[in-house]
Amino acid sequence: MSVDLPMPRVGPVAEHAPKPIRVVLNWGRRYSLWVFNFGLACCAIEFIATSMGRHDFIRLGVIPFAPGPRQADLMVVSGTVTDKMAPAIRRLYDQMPEPKYVISFGACSNTGGPYWDSYSVTKGVDQLIPVDVYVPGCPPRPEALLQGIIRLQEKIAAERVSGAAIGARQPGRTRDLDQRYAGHRTAAAAEVTRGLVTKP
Amino acid sequence: MADETRVVQAGEWRAALLAARDDGYRFFDWLSAVDRTDDDAAPGFDVTAHLLDVSTPGALRGVLLVTRVADGQPVESVTGVYAGAAWHERETHEMFGIDFAGFDDGSGLAIRPLLLPDGFEGTPLRKSFQLAARASKPWPGGKEPGEGHESAKSPGRRRVAAPGVPPADWGPR
Repeated sequence: MSVDLPMPRVGPVAEHAPKPIRVVLNWGRRYSLWVFNFGLACCAIEFIATSMGRHDFIRLGVIPFAPGPRQADLMVVSGTVTDKMAPAIRRLYDQMPEPKYVISFGACSNTGGPYWDSYSVTKGVDQLIPVDVYVPGCPPRPEALLQGIIRLQEKIAAERVSGAAIGARQPGRTRDLDQRYAGHRTAAAAEVTRGLVTKP
Repeated sequence: MADETRVVQAGEWRAALLAARDDGYRFFDWLSAVDRTDDDAAPGFDVTAHLLDVSTPGALRGVLLVTRVADGQPVESVTGVYAGAAWHERETHEMFGIDFAGFDDGSGLAIRPLLLPDGFEGTPLRKSFQLAARASKPWPGGKEPGEGHESAKSPGRRRVAAPGVPPADWGPR
């Protein structure tokens, strides 16, 4: 049995809020980023290091770790994205509620990195999902992720989270064009998933 | 770790692994292939298996078995000798396009891909497999040292002609 519920959204209050309220809403949003680590390779170790005591990104309001993508605001893709992993990334991204943000952490998830020549590696996670902040490095140091988080928070502080504003952020999309999918999605989860793989 | 290398004929592959198992090499370590199609004397693939004798603590013996099979020729499956070889044979099958006759992993299914995503075409570990990203993906800067910038101080180096690097006229342009 499946329940067909709409994706949770910020709603008309935020869309039409006057500026002081918007500032407060953005301020709340930028300092309570429940993070969801899509760790795929050695960059995930650096991500974990960032979450631990020495670097401690909770002081920036990034809360490790969301129980799952449905509770997360921020996804950090850290590691080598392969073509076989791609549907899972897309699926989990689509499960995240709006507003949602993505940090691509490390050379592999930015562009394919040292494996860009490979037959199995996706040439950047931005081919699958929209990315807000790219953190370069192989792997980047934890300080680089902290800087990336600060950059993301600056973006959140300046943004208007309405459906039309999210749509306008997308390259090649205007607010009237292609309203088949909610928000800034370019596909629905059902279109990029496959059935449960049964045990052999 | 291989203290010994046994080169066997392709037709005796299964018998050779059985004999090695009876010699005490009870631990199946690895099975894969090496693309030797550039060998003019006997072009084909070197199917290799690495076995270990773990019976004596502190004295690990290893043996490497090698056989050369021509392209398109099936190899005898050794899943009946070492059940753990099933995954290795499936991987070798999808990566090199080598067929394993008599493959049986208990599922009743024939030999099939293991790791590659659904719909993947080609056998990526063959030297003839072209890495299409070089030709299809626009890339800022140089793909090889010396490329991507015109300067008198950086004379054009010899273009890399490694296997898998598509020639300049390959693919959609």
